Amino acid sequence: MDKGYIENGFIVDVSNAHKTSEIIYELSRILDLPDAQSKKVCLKLGSVDLTTTELTSIKALVESMNSEIEFINTSSQYTVKSAEELNIEVSVLENKVPMPEFNGDQEKVNRELEKALDKIFGDENTEIKTFAQEKDLKKLQQDAPAEPVEPIEEIKTESISSENQMETIDKSEFAADKDEKSENTVNASVSIETADFNPAEELKDFNKELENANKIEGEDIEDIDYNLDDLRKSLRETEKLPTLYIQRTLRSGQSITSDGNIVIIGDANPGSEIIAKGDITVWGILGGIAHAGSAGNRYAKIRALKMNAIQLRIADTFARRPDNINIPYIQKTDTFIPEEACIYKKQILIHKIHES
Amino acid sequence: MSGRVIVITSGKGGVGKTTTNANIGTALARAGKKVVMIDTDLGLRNLDLLLGLENRIVYTIVDVVEERCKLKQALVKDKKNPNLCLLAAAQTRDKTAVTEEQLKDICEKLKKDFDFILVDCPAGIEQGFQNAVAGASEAIVVTTPEMSAVRDADRIIGLLEAKEEIKSYKLLLNRVRPNLIKSNDMMSVDDVVEILSAELIGIIPEDTGIITSTNKGEPIVNDEKSLAGKAYNNVARRIIGEDVPFLNLEEPQGVMAKIKKFFSGLTGKEK
Repeated sequence: MDKGYIENGFIVDVSNAHKTSEIIYELSRILDLPDAQSKKVCLKLGSVDLTTTELTSIKALVESMNSEIEFINTSSQYTVKSAEELNIEVSVLENKVPMPEFNGDQEKVNRELEKALDKIFGDENTEIKTFAQEKDLKKLQQDAPAEPVEPIEEIKTESISSENQMETIDKSEFAADKDEKSENTVNASVSIETADFNPAEELKDFNKELENANKIEGEDIEDIDYNLDDLRKSLRETEKLPTLYIQRTLRSGQSITSDGNIVIIGDANPGSEIIAKGDITVWGILGGIAHAGSAGNRYAKIRALKMNAIQLRIADTFARRPDNINIPYIQKTDTFIPEEACIYKKQILIHKIHES
Repeated sequence: MSGRVIVITSGKGGVGKTTTNANIGTALARAGKKVVMIDTDLGLRNLDLLLGLENRIVYTIVDVVEERCKLKQALVKDKKNPNLCLLAAAQTRDKTAVTEEQLKDICEKLKKDFDFILVDCPAGIEQGFQNAVAGASEAIVVTTPEMSAVRDADRIIGLLEAKEEIKSYKLLLNRVRPNLIKSNDMMSVDDVVEILSAELIGIIPEDTGIITSTNKGEPIVNDEKSLAGKAYNNVARRIIGEDVPFLNLEEPQGVMAKIKKFFSGLTGKEK
């Protein structure tokens, strides 16, 4: 007698099991489910040889869950014999099981999925948008190699505006130099000794530089705090930007400039340069210079599996690798913790993306 | 103040132009001179790495030339020595980004503020070399005691002699190994000087410390114990005008060598 399916029942496929204990474990797991109770069960037992007692215990297990064995399917003659002794039907399963009709439900599911997506992305016609993005991207990729390597205009205007301040700083520094120089010439032999490394002075220098960096940022930045609404808005805008997708290692001297986001699958080696108006993501070691939000977006972010950048620039803020960390090349066997750089309180902050 | 513009060149690559530049520059600054180094090796810059200033570069010589910033803004000050400055090369451009006239102009401007302007020349005799030499009035030709390097140095000296601006040129012999010279496996200092018939300004011994100092971004002249560091310091003093005798490069003998010598002497006596 061949049966394709069972009414008010289900098939338990334990044909991969090699031991009786595995079959019992699997069965008890399935029959524990509330839906599996008071049903008819078909067992696919495979090639395991089962004795009468083993089969009895399996039957007892099924019956303890208010179910009953409809028939079993096995390739072992030994099991067939034991089944005949216990009056259990042995049958061959056909593969033609009629599919339950889910169509009505499927539509519902689709509708809800769309709703959820709308909630996330906030747009009804997401499909059209992505298509348009693709178009832009293609255009951009065609244009990208021919693009002249040029820092974006925003930087130019910024540098011009900050020039006066820079000059005054320079002058004061030069004046200081002259003083030191006169000392040096007076006492040349001592100067060699004093020229040695002085950590306190170094720190002072660094602080001075930090102050200068803040000065250069200008006045309009003073009012802006880390505003959540602005952050969300900028996130959405960044999403809409075209994304340049590069699947190779960026080597020393290579420079990539984009009006949108840049994603690099590979490393960005020391000496390379990535400039984007949106975000920068490096799926690898970031070792060169990265400038995100080059058009002035202070919410732009730089992400990398390993942050070893010589310089990070976000909008008009600037950070450099500390001098005491001198790792020109990172071992590729190191464990990587993905990190993200963003502006926090007018400074660039690097934090781990996943704390665990 | 009118500074001296010295170009450091070699023709052949890998003989130690950039190392020489970084070390002489640092030594001069330590002696109280105001020094600026110009890296003209556009696209293959290394000088910043040797000085450990890679992370401070914002503007490069190309930015200055294309008037994106002022010259003073582009000068990167050294970590330790305030007398020392670096004008870095652009990494993302090639030799054609700067012309001879522009480099000459930069050198003229820097002369007013600095005692020494050291120009690091790229390898080869093409545009990059022509640019580097343009603003200079003195030259240091770096070579090693190898036939190929000496041949290239000869070619470079010929080109330098043809330039009217170059008033004097001197020879710096790098990576000398006294042991090999002793066993007649390497050209001796005298051989090289004879072939090139140029005035010698320094002899630098081969030193493994150079490799570590390059990796650390710290010129070897800061290491008082190093023989190569001493040699570079002496070169700097000779540039200033002091009369310094050449170093005795014979390696100091180790304990084992002394014991061996002692025993060989004994056995010799017995015979």
